[in-house]
Amino acid sequence: MAEIVGIFAASHTPVMLQFPDAIPARDREEVFAAFRAIGKDIATARPQALVILSDDHLHNFFLSNLPAICVGAAEQYPTPVEHWLKAEKRVLPGDANLGAYLLTKALESDFDPALSMELTLDHGVLTPLELAGVAQDIPLVPILFNCVQPPLPTMRRCYRFGKWLGKALRAYERVERIAVIATGGISHDIATPRMGMVNEKFDRELLRLLEAADADGAVRFATDHVSEAGNGAEEIRMWLAAMGCADARPFRIRYYRAVHDWYTGIALGTWGAG
Amino acid sequence: MSNWRQSMPTGEAYWLDKVLYELHHKPDDLEQFRKDANAYLERYPLTAKMKAAIVENDVAALYLSGVNPYLLRAHCIGMRIPEALSLAALRRAGETSNG
Repeated sequence: MAEIVGIFAASHTPVMLQFPDAIPARDREEVFAAFRAIGKDIATARPQALVILSDDHLHNFFLSNLPAICVGAAEQYPTPVEHWLKAEKRVLPGDANLGAYLLTKALESDFDPALSMELTLDHGVLTPLELAGVAQDIPLVPILFNCVQPPLPTMRRCYRFGKWLGKALRAYERVERIAVIATGGISHDIATPRMGMVNEKFDRELLRLLEAADADGAVRFATDHVSEAGNGAEEIRMWLAAMGCADARPFRIRYYRAVHDWYTGIALGTWGAG
Repeated sequence: MSNWRQSMPTGEAYWLDKVLYELHHKPDDLEQFRKDANAYLERYPLTAKMKAAIVENDVAALYLSGVNPYLLRAHCIGMRIPEALSLAALRRAGETSNG
């Protein structure tokens, strides 16, 4: 039986790598230090596998075939898929056995994620791992939620999937230590007239509900108010899934700042071991 | 208020999305597009207006046509459209669509 040795959440945006100088050096250093601190926690937890909850920004998936949720089960993941992203091309290790286990168990439990053994991961996975300094170290299982092209899976469904995921991971027998990181959000708008406007009030309320371990409240708030926080805020689906995974353990905010010139409310936090 | 201009892509948005997707994922497409954008776009069933929006990097028109925002964003970065220009175009598009 595996232990979930840590559950983490962190915002991601390609501009962190693409346009780092768009914000003052002091702010940038503060954000990057917060990522390094999370990276240190991940390393200290010594996971043998890292499940990363993220989204594909229409690189692997297109309108030809767009899964609501997709579980990766590959032995390796080339990255980045964006030809323009300022990031070193490399291949990240995957835990194909854990991915296959999760796919099988999910279908047995009446969830229907898509399977992929051919993902070239984008900035949504790479940015947080790179900034945390843990890319390359730990075999990954990417789980990608559709947050980018409606119709989208409901907030409640993503929370419930996360809750199921926590149970499935704890029942896994081939490794002993697994960490989970959710990435995306919080408030931001991509390629709309609102781009650059961060809804700090939304972000702080969501974080408060996570701290209070109020799952019903968080799901309801996310469902009712996501449209006030921008299309990028749809990515809080992964935070809700991580909350489900944490199974009512309280959340601790490690960092928050509304970074307007990176267009994003940037938060990082942890749920601790259990 | 919604985060999305379209709850499902229209037929026209689909083809625009397809262009923006293929340009940045198929191996030779970007080069062909840069060489002769109009010739490249011949292969897609787009109106002259939509072809012009792509050729002229008209971010406002693309936004208003309902293209997927992530494809539009990646296209702006991939085509190296200056950030200030894209942002100004999007703000302008917002005023158009509200007015």
